[in-house]
Amino acid sequence: MKKRERKLIFLEGWKALAGLTLILAAISLPGVELAASPEVKPTYALVNCRIFPVSGPAIEKGTIVVRDGLIEAIGPAGKIKIPEDAEVIEASGLTAYPGLISAHTNLFLEVKQQEQPQTPAEFLSALSQPSEPQQFPDFLVLKELKPKKQTIESWHKTGFTTVVVAPSRGIFQGQSVILNLNGEQLNQMVIRQPWALHINFTTERGIYPSSLMGTVAFIRQKFYDTLHYDLHRKKYSASPLFLKRPEYDPFLEALIPFVVEKKPVVFQCNNQEDIKRALRLIEEFKLNGILAGCNEAWRVVEHLNRAKVPLLVTVDFRPPSVNIYNQQGEAVRKKAEAEIYPANPAVLLKENIHFALTGFGLSESSFLKNIQAAIRAGLPAEAAMKALTADSARILGLEKQLGTLEPGKIANLILTRGDLFAEKTRVVKVIVDGILFNYEEKSQ
Amino acid sequence: MRKNFLKTFLIPILSLIFLAPVNSLLAAGNLLIKNAIVMPVTAPPIYGADVLIINGIIKQIGPNLTPPPGTRVINASGKYLIPGIIDTHTHLGLSGTNEGTDAITPEVDMADVINPDDPAIFTALTGGVTMVHTMHGSANVIGGRNVVLKLKWGQPSEKMVVKEAWPTLKFALGENVKQSNRTLLPGRPQRYPATRMGANAIIRRELLRAREYMAAWERYEKLKNSKNPPRGLLPPKKDLRLETLADLLRGKLYARCHAYVATEMVEFLRLAREFGFKIAAFEHAWEAYKITDELLEAGVGISVFIDSWAYKMEAAEGIAYNAAYCTQRGILVSINSDSSERVRRLFNEAGKAVKYGLTPDEALKMITINAAKQLGVDHLVGSIEVGKQADLALFENHPMSAYTRCEMTIIEGDVYFDRQQILKEREEAAARKGGY
Repeated sequence: MKKRERKLIFLEGWKALAGLTLILAAISLPGVELAASPEVKPTYALVNCRIFPVSGPAIEKGTIVVRDGLIEAIGPAGKIKIPEDAEVIEASGLTAYPGLISAHTNLFLEVKQQEQPQTPAEFLSALSQPSEPQQFPDFLVLKELKPKKQTIESWHKTGFTTVVVAPSRGIFQGQSVILNLNGEQLNQMVIRQPWALHINFTTERGIYPSSLMGTVAFIRQKFYDTLHYDLHRKKYSASPLFLKRPEYDPFLEALIPFVVEKKPVVFQCNNQEDIKRALRLIEEFKLNGILAGCNEAWRVVEHLNRAKVPLLVTVDFRPPSVNIYNQQGEAVRKKAEAEIYPANPAVLLKENIHFALTGFGLSESSFLKNIQAAIRAGLPAEAAMKALTADSARILGLEKQLGTLEPGKIANLILTRGDLFAEKTRVVKVIVDGILFNYEEKSQ
Repeated sequence: MRKNFLKTFLIPILSLIFLAPVNSLLAAGNLLIKNAIVMPVTAPPIYGADVLIINGIIKQIGPNLTPPPGTRVINASGKYLIPGIIDTHTHLGLSGTNEGTDAITPEVDMADVINPDDPAIFTALTGGVTMVHTMHGSANVIGGRNVVLKLKWGQPSEKMVVKEAWPTLKFALGENVKQSNRTLLPGRPQRYPATRMGANAIIRRELLRAREYMAAWERYEKLKNSKNPPRGLLPPKKDLRLETLADLLRGKLYARCHAYVATEMVEFLRLAREFGFKIAAFEHAWEAYKITDELLEAGVGISVFIDSWAYKMEAAEGIAYNAAYCTQRGILVSINSDSSERVRRLFNEAGKAVKYGLTPDEALKMITINAAKQLGVDHLVGSIEVGKQADLALFENHPMSAYTRCEMTIIEGDVYFDRQQILKEREEAAARKGGY
């Protein structure tokens, strides 16, 4: 077994001295608190690496200067001056890419599993107790997150530096957060909080809505209620005379930013009909809608072309459960998973549909395998790269901060030995917010 | 993608299941059916006629027709060409049947949950069925909006929806809604209504609420448009449940009411008179034969099984002569399947009516033109007439015979099921794959 080492480099050598001076200065000032981690990040100069900036053509031998968490300069070797204070990282043989963005995950989310009935008596009693409503429009996923070093490491090694963490339960699931995988301190990781409201076409058990048709009606009714609630509130705050005070409703209160103020609403779409359902809702309520899941988007390209709604497409190629391929035995299902669904991203690219790729529902290792399958099915590797970086950033509204290697942007980048997505490629260094993580294999 | 997929997947089961229109390479919607025994249903049979279809519409019926170049020609010598069969009560092609948690759920719409991948769509085609009224279930007193689909297998769901059909709302009465055949779970109260009088009362209560809702909106509109709108004027809350019921009261929706016994049907007719809403048909209506005068007076038809009575208490007084007797009394009767399995042999079900006193022509009407009338689409389909949509089924023998089967099913001039082609493909695939 290869033993890998991960090292957080903050203060080294002469910089320790500078750091100490800073700390002393901080202590001497009354009322200034000591930060848990240093405020000033080291400056790095990555030299002699191949660079795929995504924003432009590849640079065969280039330099990237990272200062204080941002990209300071990038360009061909010789054209970029290496700052005197920079720690030089020799990166010949390595390729630099923007850090990958997974725009839809349930990372770090610890959901309490509902206890399953074991005995017939328990089962009967569970049936006679209607379940608690699984509706959490005001739930902030950030509050439930427990970042783990091991998970971050494993995501780094897959190439990811940024993730959207979405809630996972209920119809109105709650509000997601965008995180940079720069350590385990949540507040320092946050890029945007909250990002979007997440809605899933699922059902309740034993209470309304217990069917898909009920769920669609329930969502529409809640949206109408929100519009009315907002109108009432606005009228009341403009002039309360002769107007009954609106009754406070936390459910609708939580929906106002998304239904009225048009913050993003992400619909989980597990099959082609879910996509149409979501598009109808987006159109009816003029939402800033985004569709997630969508591994059957290839069947509804006409609708998607008309709607111009961006997609967070998972590379999970398992045919949806209501799908025809899922109703004719394992052999047909497997064949569809291997031969039909991997072409989904390639079809979307051909149709000029705006999409990001995600590994939603997959482990890190199957994510890579499935990206490779999508590439084999016709998606150019550069397009896969773009869908996981610049396109993701654009859909998240972070195109000015993330997604490409350009001066001024957040220093999120990965260094690989080999082409990204190739089978034997390893991610050997990751920089997130200017913090360096080393994953170089030790020689045995 | 679709083409590629068809190539890869022309294995027996799938070719059966996912067949885009077979004649898609030829001009879509154009077809000449030669020398068939044409059963227009609304007119006597024509022996040895051609039927020419242009752009999905029946253009001409007569001997020795010449088609425009590029038209697919089907030799139908000795075979029976009938209008595509219409099933007025099914639950196929849907993801879910009931929103059963509440007695009143008119806000739900089956059009929201169409599943175009349901294999029952294909198996129904193999029995000559071209159109279905696919409905909310009977778990609650007021279910939801139903939807009429053409069984265009392989097409996207929105292309299956028949927009011209009457919009309908499902009602249900009797044992299913009072949950009399359900074991009560300990600690869980029985849902209201638990009796037939309760079902009647809850419908009246909800319709009264809908009236109030309509009045509230009218008041608001009036005030809003007045010269001096009052301060603090706020529109009423939009309520999808009451919106649907208001549409029923406005005459924009037709009720389709699941009912078994005579008394509950008479009560429902009274409700319809009281509130002025329209009933498209009673479903199952096993005791309709007891109230033919009332049904005739109200002009309400029935959509029934042919001979599967007595499967529960409220069906105990059903008789197999129900459909035939009601037809003879002048009531509009259709035969339904209410089943994703029975739907593919609905012609057999209708055929049984011959035993109970109808002529084969009358029996055939119950699954074609009568059904079309009950769905409000008889101006489009339900018979073979020039100008109507070419939804057709070709049968080996007389469709009301016990010794027949459907050979080909056509919707708007496109062949969606072709028995011979499927058998051929199946053989070829077996030879290729070594009997996969």
